[in-house]
Amino acid sequence: MRILIVEDEKALRESLKQDLAAAGHAVDVAADGEEGLYAALEFPIDVAIVDLGLPKISGLEIIRRLRAAGKSYAVLVLTARDSWQDKVEGLSAGADDYLAKPFHLPELQARLGALLRRAGGWTTPLLQCGPVALDTRAQAVAVNGAAVELTSFEYRLLEHLMLHAGEVVSKTELTEKLYEQDFERDSNVIEVLVARLRRKLDPNDKLNPIETLRGRGYRFALARGGVTA
Amino acid sequence: MQRAPSVSRQLVIAVAVPLLLSFLLMIAVLDGIFRESATRALRERLDQEVISLVTATELTDSGTMDLRLLDPESRLSRRRSGQYAEVRTAAGKVLWASPSLAGLPVNFGAAVGKGQASFFTLTLADGTELGILNRGLEWDYAPGQDAELVFSVAEDLEGQNARLWHFRRQLCLWFGALAVLLLAVLGALLRRVLRPIHRLEQEIAEVDSGQRAQLGDGYPRELTGVARALNALLGSEQRRIRRYRDTLGNLAHSLKTPLSVIRTAAAGDAAQRAGINREIDRMAQIVDRQLQRAAMSGGATLGQSAVQVAPVFAELRVAMRKVHAHKDLVIEVEVESGAGFVGDRGDLLEVLGNLLDNSCKWCRHTVRVRARLDPVLPAARNLTIRVEDDGPGIAPDLRRRVLDRGVRADERAPGHGLGLAMVADTIALYGGELLISESPTLHGACLDLALPGRELGAGVVTS
Repeated sequence: MRILIVEDEKALRESLKQDLAAAGHAVDVAADGEEGLYAALEFPIDVAIVDLGLPKISGLEIIRRLRAAGKSYAVLVLTARDSWQDKVEGLSAGADDYLAKPFHLPELQARLGALLRRAGGWTTPLLQCGPVALDTRAQAVAVNGAAVELTSFEYRLLEHLMLHAGEVVSKTELTEKLYEQDFERDSNVIEVLVARLRRKLDPNDKLNPIETLRGRGYRFALARGGVTA
Repeated sequence: MQRAPSVSRQLVIAVAVPLLLSFLLMIAVLDGIFRESATRALRERLDQEVISLVTATELTDSGTMDLRLLDPESRLSRRRSGQYAEVRTAAGKVLWASPSLAGLPVNFGAAVGKGQASFFTLTLADGTELGILNRGLEWDYAPGQDAELVFSVAEDLEGQNARLWHFRRQLCLWFGALAVLLLAVLGALLRRVLRPIHRLEQEIAEVDSGQRAQLGDGYPRELTGVARALNALLGSEQRRIRRYRDTLGNLAHSLKTPLSVIRTAAAGDAAQRAGINREIDRMAQIVDRQLQRAAMSGGATLGQSAVQVAPVFAELRVAMRKVHAHKDLVIEVEVESGAGFVGDRGDLLEVLGNLLDNSCKWCRHTVRVRARLDPVLPAARNLTIRVEDDGPGIAPDLRRRVLDRGVRADERAPGHGLGLAMVADTIALYGGELLISESPTLHGACLDLALPGRELGAGVVTS
């Protein structure tokens, strides 16, 4: 895995780099906001660790800009204050998880692992396929303007399907997106979730947004682009 | 307690008293002038009477008066007409008395010498007032023969007195009306002048309740000094609080990173490292808690604006779903759209963030949040928030311990961590309430909060 560390405190930066490299990852480092932003935009990264309190450009600003530039890899923020204000700010700006300093290294590694399995961030804040609108920032879904309440898993499933609208997505791929390694994967769960999604999105059986392709997986059948209700 | 002196009342008294006194003085003076003029008119009339009497008189050889030309229509001829006359000798012998007298006991007074006159008022036994004029004359009734006569005329003053009282009444009436009018105008003027002070009072109340951050413009010159000084005070208070926060934030940042470094650089065997890590954890917790408590504004500051609650929940919902991504969560949020929290947005985020985080951590599947302004409760506690989940809940004996501020935070609710203790502390700082019970619908933990709240409407700054 290629990991980017943006941290201005030298000792922490260096020790993190050593530990993660020792675990077998390729590590890039940046010591301030400017370097960090450049690295975030240019390098082929799988996951970024960004400290919030950086000189020159703030961590929040880096996250916002890399999301705006279409980078969808996972981002973990480091917060000096264990305050919800910082956490919420970081997550709202586009991060996927947070860790408060001081932290244990094993915990950081566990979180990184979990992030790598989940899809990171968004490419676009609003996904619209036909009458179905998905707001990735608010994590809310609406069909023909009417809000639809989804559970976390249902939402993530739909998000992934819509991101790959028109393409076939296998059950395995979907399971990986939802669960962490230690959970027993029951392929039936995906079927149940898809059934629930269909019921919620299309109660009158008119839209048929999700197609089942036997033996291959699922496909989001509605085309990209907006349709006004 | 002494009652505060009223500027308005002092001013009104200071104006009313001289006003009334000068009005009374004017009434007295005008009354005097009127009376004097009436008296002079009376004298002139009486003088005229004497002259016409003299003209109509003839003294015969035998010494009797003959008033041939006396008009039978004149008042002197009619009984008790109110006008009386008499002619006497210097010695006092009555030569002629007017028919109007008809036995009325009028004492015309002492005789006067020739060329002299006397003028006075006489009150009769029945109360009638008469004005009396006596004139002494030398009468040449025959060549070489003259007599000294006294002509006396009297007039009933009833009519004149009536006019005098009428005049007095009119005087008092008009001056009274004028006084009332002037005082009313004064009162209205006072109210107008004092209006800026009432406005100042109201704007200060609005600043206190958070509806405005600074006092407005447009005060009269006398009050701009006060308004400006107050605004300067407000500004410096707000800056001071911001400064404290920034300092504390920097302190946190500078302490936490060295702690991280120590932790990762800790050498020695496993037991030693565990020992060091434990102490680092404890230090981190202490720093955390103290900073969070210090950074709280602890209730509304000057010019505190109210915070919209709904967006805070929306943000937290997104955060929770990311943080607890390994769970298939349902987070139901129902917030009254106009609900506002009177306090610091950061404090609200901390409280709700901790509560939601706990609920999401412990729940099986569902977390439900309701927030509304209860119209029945007082404003200091009318923002009611309920967070409930379908998890195992908090054991009844633990519930009291969690809220007990005397118990050390990490010993209060093992497993629930520092968060719940901090929530209880924050709520206590705002003078609110926290109640822990079992959720009636979800059967997990149910936390009810009451915080200072306000309905947010037009013209209010929201964050």
